[in-house]
Amino acid sequence: MNLNKLTINEALRGLKKGDFTVVDLVTDCLTQIENHDKKIKAFITVTKEAALKRAVELDTELKSRGNEVFSDKPLFGIPYAAKDNYSTKGILTTASSKILDNYYPPFDATAIKKLNDAGAVLIGKTNMDAFAHGSSTETSDFFTTKNPWNTKKVPGGSSGGSAAAVLADMCLFATGSETGGSTRGPASWSGVVGVKPSYGRVSRYGIVAMASSTDSPGPITKNILDSAIVLNVMSGKDPLDATSNPLGVPDFTEGVRSYSLKGVKIGKPKSYFDADLEKGTKEKVEEAIEVFKSLGAEIVEIDLLDPKYAIAVYTILQRSEVSSNLARLTGVRYGNTRDTFGFEAKKRIMLGTYALSSGYYDAYYSKAQKVRTLIIDSFNKAFEKVDLIVAPSMPCVALDVGESDKSPMFGEIMDMLNEPSCISGNPGISIPCGFYNKLPVGLQLIGKMNDESSIFGALARFEEVTDYHKQRPEL
Amino acid sequence: MSGISKDQLNHIAKLSNLPLKEGEDTKFSKLLSDTISYINVLNELDTSKVQETYQVTGLVNVFQKGDENVATLLQEDATKNANEVSKGLIVTKGVFERS
Repeated sequence: MNLNKLTINEALRGLKKGDFTVVDLVTDCLTQIENHDKKIKAFITVTKEAALKRAVELDTELKSRGNEVFSDKPLFGIPYAAKDNYSTKGILTTASSKILDNYYPPFDATAIKKLNDAGAVLIGKTNMDAFAHGSSTETSDFFTTKNPWNTKKVPGGSSGGSAAAVLADMCLFATGSETGGSTRGPASWSGVVGVKPSYGRVSRYGIVAMASSTDSPGPITKNILDSAIVLNVMSGKDPLDATSNPLGVPDFTEGVRSYSLKGVKIGKPKSYFDADLEKGTKEKVEEAIEVFKSLGAEIVEIDLLDPKYAIAVYTILQRSEVSSNLARLTGVRYGNTRDTFGFEAKKRIMLGTYALSSGYYDAYYSKAQKVRTLIIDSFNKAFEKVDLIVAPSMPCVALDVGESDKSPMFGEIMDMLNEPSCISGNPGISIPCGFYNKLPVGLQLIGKMNDESSIFGALARFEEVTDYHKQRPEL
Repeated sequence: MSGISKDQLNHIAKLSNLPLKEGEDTKFSKLLSDTISYINVLNELDTSKVQETYQVTGLVNVFQKGDENVATLLQEDATKNANEVSKGLIVTKGVFERS
C-alpha cells in the first residue's frame, strides 16, 4: 500500500478513518527498510519485532477506545526512527561508536519516552557520525550512510542516517540532534525538514552528550506541519535536565495554520551571503528569498558577526565539552575500554583537554566564551530590526563520499552557517528550497530565542507555494 | 602560540587517559597544530571588555524538587552493562596497592 510514503498528518487521518491499521503502517516502513537499506545504510538497528508487537497493542487500543486515543496520543501509531545517540531502554545504543557497541541503556531518553507515550512506534536506530563528531556520517565506526539522491554522495551529518531514512520513506519521521549543524546540515543535503529548536526547548536527558551547552535535540520530517506536531511532543521542562526551558510550550502547529508573512521583516546577513558559497546554492536561496517577498515579507540587509569566528568558537567549546563528557567512558560501568575510541573522537578529546589545560585555558576556552557573548550580542542587535533571519543551511550541496578526509576541520567549515545560532542558542529550521546538480539545496530561517513559532509559520507559507519538499529520488 | 610538539601531545594523551597507537602521536600533533592555527583567528577580536557566556539559558540555581527525581534504577539494571560485577557491585581497578 506504500503507507510509508505518507506524512504524519496524512497517516493520522487514515488511521482515524480506519483506512488502514497501525500494523499496516509499521509493516510498510519495515518493508521499505528491507528493500532499500542494504544500499542506503541508514539503520544500525531495526527493532522489527518490538515495533510489530507495539503496533498490535495500539490497534487493540484503538479498537476499544475509539478515536479519543488521538487526543491524548498525538502521534498514535506513527512509525519513527531514533538517532543512535538517543538512549532507548533495552535497545542497543551505540552513538555509532565501537566503544559503545555493547551498550543497552537501562532507561529511555526523555525525548524517547515522550514520543513513545504519545503513541509513536520506534522502528529502529539510525547511523550517525560517531558521537556526532562530523558532518557526513563518515566518522561512524561502523559504516557510511549514502545519500538516497545519489549514493556516491554523503547524506550530511551527524544525523545523516535519520535524514536519509526520512527521505527514503523508511519511517514517517526521525529524531536528530544538533550541536553545531547536525540536524539542519543533513536535512539540507538530503532534502527534508530539520529542526534545531532553541537551546533548552527539548530535554537533553539520555542523549549521549557531545557539547552540553549547545546540544539541541529535534525532529527531522517530510514537511513543516509534521515537524511542528513532533516538536510539540518532544518539548518541555524536564526535571532531569536542569537547562531545559521552564517556560511553557506553545502549540507550534498554530503558527503553521495561521501565520502571515505580510509585513514580516526577514534579515539577510551580509557576512553569511559573502561567505564562500557554491554558486548554485546561493542562486537557489536567492530565488527562495524572492518567494518570501512575493508572500509579503520585507527583506532587510543586516550585519551579523562573520561566521569564521563562530567556526573557531565552536571548535574550542565543542572539543572542550567533548573531552569532559567522554571522560565518563571508561569501560567500567558500561561500554568498552578507551583504546576502542575512534580516530576522530581521540582527536577531539585531546584538543579539548589541551584547551582546558593549565596555561592555555585563558587563551582558548575563556577567549571563546567571550566571543560567544559577541555572537549573542550580534544576533540580539539584528533581532531589534528584523523578525527572522534567512540563510543557506549549507554552503554547497551534498559532497562525495571521501571528501571529508581532506580537512581536519571539514565539519566545522561545512556547518559554518549553523554554528553561530547553535552557540547563541537561537532556533533554526532547514527546508529544501530547490535543486542544484540534481541535489537538494537547503534554506534556513533563524528566529529569536524561543520563537520557533514564527519560523514554522513563515516556512509553512513557503511550502504552500513550492513543492521541493515533495520531491523523492528513485531508490 | 605555534604547534604542539610530540612531547606535549603525549602529555595531553596522558591527561586524556587515551592510549595512542604507534605513530599516532606524529599524526595527531600535526592535526592539532593545524586546528590551533585556525582558531587563532579569534585574536582579531578585542574581548578585553567582554564577559564570558558559559550557558545561554540565563537560568541559575536550578534544583530538583524532592519528589521529582524519578530516574532511579534497580541495582540489577544499573549493573547490567558493567564489565565485571561482584556481589551486585561494579568491579573497578584498584586505586591503592594492597600492602
